[in-house]
Amino acid sequence: MIYWDIFRMALNALWANRLRSGLTLLGVIIGVTSVITIISAIEGFMGSVQAEINKLGPTTFLVVRVGGIITSEDAFFEMIKRKPFEVEYAEAIEDACEDCEKIAMQAYGFSREVKYRDKKLSNVYIRGAGASMIDIVDYEVEHGRFYSYEEDYGGRRVAFVGTTIQKQLFPNIDPIGKTIKINNLKYDIIGIAKEQGATFGHDADKIIFIPFNTFAKDFGTPRRNLTIFVKARSIDVLDKAMDQTRVVLRAYRHVPYDKEDDFSLLTADSIMEQFNNITRFMRFGLIGITSISLIVGGIIIMNIMMVSVTERTREIGIRKSIGARQKDILFQFLFESFILSVGGGLIGISLGVLLGDLLINLINMDMTPSLLAILLGIGISSGIGIFFGIYPAMKAARLQPVKALSYE
Amino acid sequence: MALIETNNLWKTYDMGKVQVHALRGISIKIDKGDYIAVMGPSGSGKSTLMNLIGCLDTPTQGEYHLNGKRVSQMHDDELAEIRNREIGFVFQTFNLMPRSTALHNVELPLIYGGRNREERLQMARHALEVVNLGERVMHKPSELSGGQRQRVAIARAMVNKPSLLLADEPTGNIDTKTGDEIMGLFAELHNNGNTIILVTHEMDIARNADRILFIRDGQIEKEEIVRRAS
Ligand SMILES: Nc1ncnc2c1ncn2[C@@H]1O[C@H](COP(=O)(O)OP(=O)(O)OP(=O)(O)O)[C@@H](O)[C@H]1O
Ligand SMILES: [Mg+2]
Repeated sequence: MIYWDIFRMALNALWANRLRSGLTLLGVIIGVTSVITIISAIEGFMGSVQAEINKLGPTTFLVVRVGGIITSEDAFFEMIKRKPFEVEYAEAIEDACEDCEKIAMQAYGFSREVKYRDKKLSNVYIRGAGASMIDIVDYEVEHGRFYSYEEDYGGRRVAFVGTTIQKQLFPNIDPIGKTIKINNLKYDIIGIAKEQGATFGHDADKIIFIPFNTFAKDFGTPRRNLTIFVKARSIDVLDKAMDQTRVVLRAYRHVPYDKEDDFSLLTADSIMEQFNNITRFMRFGLIGITSISLIVGGIIIMNIMMVSVTERTREIGIRKSIGARQKDILFQFLFESFILSVGGGLIGISLGVLLGDLLINLINMDMTPSLLAILLGIGISSGIGIFFGIYPAMKAARLQPVKALSYE
Repeated sequence: MALIETNNLWKTYDMGKVQVHALRGISIKIDKGDYIAVMGPSGSGKSTLMNLIGCLDTPTQGEYHLNGKRVSQMHDDELAEIRNREIGFVFQTFNLMPRSTALHNVELPLIYGGRNREERLQMARHALEVVNLGERVMHKPSELSGGQRQRVAIARAMVNKPSLLLADEPTGNIDTKTGDEIMGLFAELHNNGNTIILVTHEMDIARNADRILFIRDGQIEKEEIVRRAS
């Protein structure tokens, strides 16, 4: 095959100009590496967010006062003026929603210092949640138990703690049955959650669940920050469960029939979608900015190829004089820019994946080497080789043999 | 049928304000097996004529038939194929690829001719042996003398067994003794039935040919027959 021979000639020409080829390669490598790193990092980040949100499970939805997609300024002001939630909503939904399996009220918590004897741990996230919360979200009991309805109803001071609490405050002892202090109030530890692992800098195990009613009693009812977690009986009846919940809440909140809901229902999918929407601009912006370095890499290739064509005008003349056709010359130069860009691309992808990995480990994210990023890298770099290489190659192919031969 | 037949060939270079007429109506006929020398003062149009005959360039006006094919109206790529198969060119400045070995230089026309690697290497080696460079196949041009370089160029020109060998002052850049060797090689090629056109400034060299064409100001001035073609 003549093209294989031409490919080898292209390789030889690049090898003959090692230093120059190497520097050109570097230009492409930098571009591709930065794009791949950014894409990998973004993908990893989105992946961990997704994983976090998926902890809700596919059959769970949230009822919140403020949330969902904000489409306009008016919608935003309408939202912040919404009436607070009432504690009775949970019971009302429980009574009226046939397709709802579990309902739990949650008070969005805050960070507090937790003490055990003379040991202290600050910034522990305290969540006040109903007793069925354990069946709704993806927390599992490692040891001991979650609190019961009775304990919640009675406002008992019991605590279900994450593994960080155990590790920091109870290094060598069993924490079950021990008493910790939050805000100088005593709580008995009754269970430990299975380890969640840290996600992007946030330690999901540095958490304490206390019964909702206990929370309300000790810290006040946070009516503006109530969230109702609802688990439908199955994925098939999720929509129905949501409709039933909506009907109950509209009645309780006296929403006129011709007005929109003054609350929002969120599923894992809708939260993810919302998150996607919010971050889309940032993600594409980042990719756009780093793509500039790819274009710079392409321009370097084009520049080098232009120099190369001018420098090798005589060589081109010789080739033509012994019978090289336009496409033979075209392909030789195109192969050269293609090898540079794809070679740079492959090295850049490897570096990018490595770097992305490193970056993500720094901030504790899961990182799967993204197939998308790799395919994109190969596609973009070969595209660049052809796009920026075609003009110099055409210039070379169209040289007149006599003129090229007499070029000094 | 003549191998080469030109009819009123003109080549005009448009230099903006002035037009340079490098050739003004050249009509020649060259048969297969002829050995022609072209002489004339500097700037008379010898190289221009060789470039047209060698299909490196196209005439501004006039007709050119090579082997019965009308090449004066052909496209770039068709001309490239003719150059590859029908024509071997030897230049004053050798025009070898400086970074490639003698073998690769000679192999190059066969690559563009689409021959396979084995066949190519065998043909290229053989052509180098014919010009007595069998021992130097892996040398680069910079590792060869002027005469050896020109012999590599001749091997490259002849490797595809073209119908026509064109040489534009092939001895212009080498000393007389080496020049004689080159002329010996040409005589051999001619004896084997090859058609040769040779541009030279030296009468001694021109006398190797059967016929000498004298060119002045882009026109054939006269023609001298050295010896009747056998
Ligand atoms: N590319 C060109 N552009 C303009 N004029 C040209 C070009 N090539 C050749 N000429 C002119 O055409 C004329 C013939 O040139 P040519 O090279 O054919 O001469 P020559 O007979 O080969 O001379 P020499 O013996 O010095 O090699 C000259 O006047 C030259 O200046
Ligand atoms: Mg000349």
